[in-house]
Amino acid sequence: MKSQIRQPVYRGRFSFRFLVSCACVAVLGGCATPTTYEGMIPTAFRTAKKHPQTVGVSVNGGKETDSTGKPQISDATFTQALTESITKSQTFSKVIQASGADYLLTVTLFGMEQPSFGLSFTVKLEAGWTLKRVSNSQTVWQESIKSEFTATTSDAFAAVTRLRLATEGAARNNISAGLARISELNL
Amino acid sequence: MLKRFALALLVFPLTSGCAVNRATATVTPGADPGAARTFFVVQPSTDSRGVGKLVTDNLVKRGFSATAGPGVPQPSKVDAVITYVDRWMWDITMYMVELTVTMRNPQNNFPIASGNSYHTSLSRKSPEEMVDEVLTNIFNAKK
Repeated sequence: MKSQIRQPVYRGRFSFRFLVSCACVAVLGGCATPTTYEGMIPTAFRTAKKHPQTVGVSVNGGKETDSTGKPQISDATFTQALTESITKSQTFSKVIQASGADYLLTVTLFGMEQPSFGLSFTVKLEAGWTLKRVSNSQTVWQESIKSEFTATTSDAFAAVTRLRLATEGAARNNISAGLARISELNL
Repeated sequence: MLKRFALALLVFPLTSGCAVNRATATVTPGADPGAARTFFVVQPSTDSRGVGKLVTDNLVKRGFSATAGPGVPQPSKVDAVITYVDRWMWDITMYMVELTVTMRNPQNNFPIASGNSYHTSLSRKSPEEMVDEVLTNIFNAKK
């Protein structure tokens, strides 16, 4: 008889605790974390030529991540990822942030498509790449590069993390493709 | 009932990201979207809601010359080509949750400027208002 009375009380407490835990998971798990530059650096590069000249880097069109929104790519994060990628791939001999470089590489981030629901998240990114010779301001190369990356539940279980990984992957593929095209140029 | 609610709370962060209302525009350094007078709006075959017509009508209302059609063939004598991506959601009724409009150089398809508006259900806007907001932001964007 006693156990019959205690049983519902136990289940009620368990359900309440379980509900509070679920609410915490929903709140904590639903907030966006900013993308990291480390996640945007390609692990391997397709470098046809290594240019001996120096380059300056300028990135615009990026957005800061709002904690209640989706992970975004900021100008500073993409700049750091691009700078380190150029250094690693040796596409140019050196990246010079101040004026005085032989070339100026401008990347404008356009139209990132991010999903809101799903198990597999595919993020698409379009970036306009422009390479100018600083000495005469001549545009030597200009191209729109589209990239995408799909992150699945095996990459991350929480949706916000999965979306961040997909966003970083799309940026990583964009940097990889852009530098590969630049390495093919005759400068 | 409690179990279902708990389950919904658990599933939500695993299947969805957060949402926020925003309206932004980006212009390629050195480009001037206001210099274009004639436009061609590329209507994808998947556009069943007539968003391409709304974009074309809005450009005409602004005093520009604008035509719409499928991507191939494009008219050669235009100053800019317009492409767009619209996303819709359901909440009681269908509504446009996001619109991205990109203005491109007709010679090489390079983006000149791009605008994006994202409004969730509670602050939803009509498709006409979304189009107007995005184009206004593109033309007012800092060069």
